[in-house]
Amino acid sequence: MERPLFTVSSITRAMQARDLLRRHGIQATVERVPHTPGMGCGYGVYAPGRAQEALPILIRAGYLAGGQGGGPR
Amino acid sequence: MIYLDNGATTYPKPERVRRAVADAFVRFGANPGRGGHAMSMATAELVYRARAEAADFFHAPDSSCVVFTMNCTHALNAVIKGTLTPGSHAVVSCLEHNAVMRPLRKLAEQDVSFTQARVYPGDNDATVDAFRRALRPETKLIVCTHVSNVWGIRLPVERIAAMARQYGVPICVDAAQSAGVFPVELEEGCFDFICAAPHKGLYAPMGLGLLITSRGEALDTILEGGTGTNSVSFDQPQEMPERLESGTLNVPAVAGLRAGLAFVREKSRERILHHELSVARAAWRALRALDRVELFSPEPDGESFAPVFSFRVRGVPSEETAAALAQAGIAVRAGLHCAPAAHRFMGTLESGAVRICPSAFTTEQEIRSFAAVMRSVVRNSQDVHKERL
Repeated sequence: MERPLFTVSSITRAMQARDLLRRHGIQATVERVPHTPGMGCGYGVYAPGRAQEALPILIRAGYLAGGQGGGPR
Repeated sequence: MIYLDNGATTYPKPERVRRAVADAFVRFGANPGRGGHAMSMATAELVYRARAEAADFFHAPDSSCVVFTMNCTHALNAVIKGTLTPGSHAVVSCLEHNAVMRPLRKLAEQDVSFTQARVYPGDNDATVDAFRRALRPETKLIVCTHVSNVWGIRLPVERIAAMARQYGVPICVDAAQSAGVFPVELEEGCFDFICAAPHKGLYAPMGLGLLITSRGEALDTILEGGTGTNSVSFDQPQEMPERLESGTLNVPAVAGLRAGLAFVREKSRERILHHELSVARAAWRALRALDRVELFSPEPDGESFAPVFSFRVRGVPSEETAAALAQAGIAVRAGLHCAPAAHRFMGTLESGAVRICPSAFTTEQEIRSFAAVMRSVVRNSQDVHKERL
């Protein structure tokens, strides 16, 4: 089963993104991103069951734009 | 021991700081931002909370603006060497610590020049004008101490920053002696960079520095390496604060910083300043009453002069005075305090001076004991002086 994880560019940004989602009432946690070829280590934000809601919030706040940030994987 | 060397580092540290540091070895023993296991994540959370609390303390926009460095010198090097390129120019005050002067001297080998603006203690208009006159078209940075680590002279950094903004020149404030005692606020002060020594006025352990900035991406890096992210790439990441934070952090010190910030918040910066001024004034007055003691600054008032000052006993090398005090169990620092520029300014480059710097823990009784020992030191030095004659 797919487990959507928003990858962001650093652990600090992952925690900022998590706190932002929590302020929006979306439960979220920071997790280690599974190894991805061509990318290496990283962290992401997991918003169980509310990824679609979380996505526009994170994009608007710039957490998923540029760098190596990406959408749910 | 009576400890009056708080300008070098505060001692003692609050009980809660000692506990937090010890606790970090037990609960936060893993490397933050490197692994995905529970202790690594818990440690990363601790570091993140410390960043957020430091951002709040320095009125920075968010936790990305807080860089943990090895010390304040490292933070200053990161700003100075990350900004100045061959052909560029910097303006500094005439009171700077070697943490500023030595990097600039090193950069002079690469065609970077600098001007030392004269400081007029107590005359902020004249000081700001001196900084303005020192600007050149190629000036790329102003670096200015907030409080002289030798004389306690407090510089009008907010006004210098406002002036610098008019000319589009970024300003870096060396808050090594002021953070925790005076307000140093990134946004309100219009500062581009704040460098701080949390082991002083923030009562954190040694081995940690702070660089507060919302312009970190603009700095060239002076240290590259592992950041725990995007590790497939040999390129240094752009994201702050990791961009300027290669290598493993001093986590126990970061834990101590959190506790130190809580200590300062709880006591309140205003009350700490009020207390330090009270005991510094008592020490200053006791010294003024002694023959042959030379004071170089007026009584600390908190406006133009912070609660730190230096003195010397006429005819006695400053190290001898400090040694006599040490023999009586009083810890002070003598010599040039790594700030020859500040000593040149006051004409004490040859003799050095003895610095007195209290902390939130210094008591009136300790100052009375210090005064009694100083009376004896001066009396003995007079006897030696007569014998030599």
